[in-house]
Amino acid sequence: MARIGEAQTPAATRDALARGRLRASLVPDLLVEARRIVNTVIAGWHGRRKRGIGENFWQFRPYVEGDSSRIDWRRSARDDHTYVRDREWEAAHTVWLWADPSPSMLYKSTGATVSKESRALVLALAMAELLSRSGERIAWPGLTDPFTARNGAERIAAQLMHAADPPAKPDLSGIRRFCDIVIVSDFLDPVEETMEWLDVLARHGVRAHLIEVADPAEETFPYAGRTEFTDPETGDKLTAGRAEMLGDDYRLLYTARRQELASWCKRLGWSYTLNHTDRLASEALVRLHMAMTADGFAGRAVA
Amino acid sequence: MSWLPLSFGAPMVLWGLLALPVIWWLLRLTPPKPQTEVFPPLKILARVLKREETPQQSPWWLTLLRLLMAALVVAALAEPVFNPREKLPAEGAALALVIDNDWASAADWGKRVATAQRLIADAGSNGVPVVIAFTAEKPNAEIGPFDAAAALDRLRAAKPRPIPTDRPAVYARVAGVLETLPGASVAVLADGLAAKGDEAAFNTLLSKNAARVVWASSDRLALTGLTNAENEVDGFALTAIRAPGDPAPAQVTAGAFDDKGRRIADATLTFAPGETTATGTMAVPFELRNDFASIALDGERQAGAVRVLDESSKRRRVGLLSQAEADQAQPLLSPLYYIRRALQPFADLVEPSSADLADAIPQILDQKPAMIVMADIGTIPEQVRQRLVDWVDNGGTLVRFAGSRLAAAGNDDDLLPVRLRTGERSLGGALSWTTPQAVTEFPKNGPFADLAPPAEVTVSRQVLAEPTPDIVERTWATLADGTPLVTGLKKGKGTLVLFHVTPEATWSTLPISGSFVEMLRRIVQLSRNQGAAVANAEAAATSLAPYRMIAADGTLVPPTPDARPLVPNAGPLPVTFENPPGLYGSETGVFAHNLLDPATAFVPLVRPQFTVPVTNVQYAFDESRDLKAPLVTAALVLMLLDTLAVFWMGGLLSRRPRRARSAAATTAALLLGLVMLFGHADLARADDAKPGDAAAIEDIAKTRIAYVLTGVPGDDAISRAGLEGLTRFLIEKTALEPGEPAGVDISKDELSFYPLIYWPIDPSAPMPSQASIARIDAYMQQGGTVLFDTRDQFANGIGADSTSPATERLRDILGNLNVPPLEPVPADHVLTKSFFILPEFPGRFAGSPLWVEASLEASNAENRPVRVGDGVSPILITANDFAGAWAVDENGDALLPTVPSDPMQRIYALRAGVNIMMYMLTGNYKSDQVHVPILLERLGQ
Repeated sequence: MARIGEAQTPAATRDALARGRLRASLVPDLLVEARRIVNTVIAGWHGRRKRGIGENFWQFRPYVEGDSSRIDWRRSARDDHTYVRDREWEAAHTVWLWADPSPSMLYKSTGATVSKESRALVLALAMAELLSRSGERIAWPGLTDPFTARNGAERIAAQLMHAADPPAKPDLSGIRRFCDIVIVSDFLDPVEETMEWLDVLARHGVRAHLIEVADPAEETFPYAGRTEFTDPETGDKLTAGRAEMLGDDYRLLYTARRQELASWCKRLGWSYTLNHTDRLASEALVRLHMAMTADGFAGRAVA
Repeated sequence: MSWLPLSFGAPMVLWGLLALPVIWWLLRLTPPKPQTEVFPPLKILARVLKREETPQQSPWWLTLLRLLMAALVVAALAEPVFNPREKLPAEGAALALVIDNDWASAADWGKRVATAQRLIADAGSNGVPVVIAFTAEKPNAEIGPFDAAAALDRLRAAKPRPIPTDRPAVYARVAGVLETLPGASVAVLADGLAAKGDEAAFNTLLSKNAARVVWASSDRLALTGLTNAENEVDGFALTAIRAPGDPAPAQVTAGAFDDKGRRIADATLTFAPGETTATGTMAVPFELRNDFASIALDGERQAGAVRVLDESSKRRRVGLLSQAEADQAQPLLSPLYYIRRALQPFADLVEPSSADLADAIPQILDQKPAMIVMADIGTIPEQVRQRLVDWVDNGGTLVRFAGSRLAAAGNDDDLLPVRLRTGERSLGGALSWTTPQAVTEFPKNGPFADLAPPAEVTVSRQVLAEPTPDIVERTWATLADGTPLVTGLKKGKGTLVLFHVTPEATWSTLPISGSFVEMLRRIVQLSRNQGAAVANAEAAATSLAPYRMIAADGTLVPPTPDARPLVPNAGPLPVTFENPPGLYGSETGVFAHNLLDPATAFVPLVRPQFTVPVTNVQYAFDESRDLKAPLVTAALVLMLLDTLAVFWMGGLLSRRPRRARSAAATTAALLLGLVMLFGHADLARADDAKPGDAAAIEDIAKTRIAYVLTGVPGDDAISRAGLEGLTRFLIEKTALEPGEPAGVDISKDELSFYPLIYWPIDPSAPMPSQASIARIDAYMQQGGTVLFDTRDQFANGIGADSTSPATERLRDILGNLNVPPLEPVPADHVLTKSFFILPEFPGRFAGSPLWVEASLEASNAENRPVRVGDGVSPILITANDFAGAWAVDENGDALLPTVPSDPMQRIYALRAGVNIMMYMLTGNYKSDQVHVPILLERLGQ
């Protein structure tokens, strides 16, 4: 009996990049709404060099009566005027992107067109392409700091190619609030571990978008007969005498894991997107786009 | 394999066991290697898989099973033989088997045959002819030479015979055959008993032509034989012998069997250490001994341990002779009366049809009696006298009683044990100073020695013996003055006995004492039947047909075709092939022909010194077992198990869960059905319920007061309401909590459940039937009480004689009852004190006395406040309409007014009811309460 799934060699980042671009071209320009800014959406980096709500210093200006801003006493002490510190209006949003590089992602079953890793990279790079095209700051945890570049996707792809040994789970504690993070993984670790890992994001107020890349064989469990299953990450082996007898229970647990994760995300106002590797990547991209533009903020605003 | 009695026909095949590791390695691969699949969500799958056994390879027990199977197959192919036997030397020109098949070989005949079979088998494999001869067979039996197969057939057809061996003749025949087969092997399968002519026989057999000898023997001669069984005075004396050389003591049990083969007696014979003879006595009653047909030693399955018994040890025939006319009017004075009564239980009595002695004596002698009793016969007719004397000489026992005729007849040397003085002696007569004499201790030399002397017997007349020198030894019983009472003499083989008194109770009281019976019995036991009383006397004299033969294994069987009639003659009768041991004769009389005569001794056969090489073998069963078939069978069973195990592991048995579930459901249903079936069966078994049990249990679960259903609705309602009211009052005031009042139909309801039945008499109600009144009567007799209420206190007319209809009816009813004497409740009756103190018992009406059973002890001591009396009056009669006063409705309000209308009267009526109930339930308990102060006072001390 032919095997149903096998581990693929890691996808060539170049190839992934090209495919990501292809996917990205199919998606309209990603307009990432800046959080808590309701008035307008300014695409790219035009016209944002002015006072506003931001993270970086913009100017000191004299305090006027009725000014709601706080007086910057350090500056005011220099002369007779009182000053207020203005910050630069940062409309551009920082979006972190991360695709799971773990060996389990290399799995590809006969029903799937690509491996999960390939799909995840494509999705991440497509997002990078989209975001950098619309002038957002993108970053890859453990790889790059946030940057803004038109060729952001290429830069990330290049970085990924040269990254020696990407950590299985990067440290996410450096991500600050008001950022978005797109995490593409299969989330096959126990839910508790995943939650623990992502909890720091929730505590920092980061909005996360989880994309689960699932192989159809993982979901439908089409195995039958005497089968020895191997875990690609740990190498553990399990032999099932009659694999078909396990299908029902397995599917129950598998979907329960997904449900739990999805409901957790929903509670935090995060989005959770499912993408099967036998489907098109664009589907996930569109849904992610929707989540990053409109829906997510409504939930967040309420929160 | 020297430590295991195991050999292999093809030991090289055992090298195949080396393949087991390879098989093991191969088996490790099965079940087929599973499909390997990379599966990232393994952790999730692992949570599912935890519940399932997932062996990496076939389980160890399956591997073990298969390895065992392979090992079994290899071992089976190597043709293993368990307990392999050694080859016996059976080569040469021929094999001559001489086998003793006499009675001594019967016990282990199977081993002998097995040994002979091995010899024949070896001879057959060597291709030599076999001469096979049996020493206890017909003299003309064919002895060969045969080929091995025919010899085996001969061997199987042979069986042990209950006769001794005839070695010289048979050995000579074998030697004759061997002359044509020089250099033969001779196998001697002897029984171990030496016989006459053994040495010559062996010399004949082995003198020439015998190249080698195989000497088969048992390890020791374990024979026990029964050589003698004599019916003695107090039991059957048995003698058993065994082979010498056994230093250990031994005990054998002999059993006696009747002619139906039932065991009726036992005896134990003990061989002292080193002794070869054991004796024992089967001490059983004489009557039972007569039923012995054979005696056999337990555990000995050979003819020597069995003896058959014939008439000579059986019930004796006793002829009775008398000269007195049989006087039917005075049987107690008939001279034979006491003799007949004494002998009947243990002897066959023969009486002549003729009173004439000349006819009577030959008649009796023709019956060949063991004993003849002559009651006061003086002279014996000359023509029969010689026959009688001959009969005594040949073993007959003649018992004579004295009397006036004998005393007058004079001496008779041939037929009297002692010389008599003429005339009789009278003791204690009118002209004699002597007193009637008692009997002293029986002399030690007589047969009565161990009998207790009859102290109560007195002898007043007797005939006297002449004092001769040998009178003492002829005396069997003496009187206190030393004169003989009973004398006896051995004459020829027979015995003469004389009682010096009459056989009836005229001269002495001996015939009416118990000792008389014992003495006659002793004499009967001493006697011997003089041959079988066969109708055809001439034929019997010539030959006796075989009747029951003793088989070689000691059982009694019908005669075999080889048995020939036995011709009894004077000399000893040898046991031969034609005359095997057993009973000869017919049903009417048999002659016992036994294998061992009393002089027999077992002499072990010693192996002669042979000049030719000798091989000793032991008799033994061939214990070699071909293990190939069991091993193959075991391997097949394992294969079956393996198949089942593979099916099971492959999930074939559970791949159809629905079917399995339905099967489980079926099983469950079946189990449920069984449980129900058995549960039901249990119920059915335990159920002794009768219709009406529930009602009965309800009736007796609580105390209930009953009332008679008169059939008049108003009365019954009032009765019920009244008892209801009383019940409430009882519950309120006392510890008694009665149940619902019960209406009873006295014609059919069970009455015994109720302590009190209230019976309102209504003249309009139908008169109860006699049967009903009988039931009431029985109820009263059994301890119940009926309270009759005529309710007519104010309905009686004026005047003492006038009676109301209700009273008339009551009188009618009581007329059919056993009514004790009645009295109005006296002032000191326990009824007045049983709960409340009541001087009178009003109901709805007041004034009518309450009648109770009159106390018998009317006298009353002054210090007794309460009349003493046991029991409870079975009857109470009132006219005060208790029920009317007690009757309440559901709210507890009184239904009927009292007359006169006085609330206290109703209270008193209820108290009267309480007292009555307490009286019913506690009886005279209250009357015993008067003792309480005294009892307490005593306890205080």
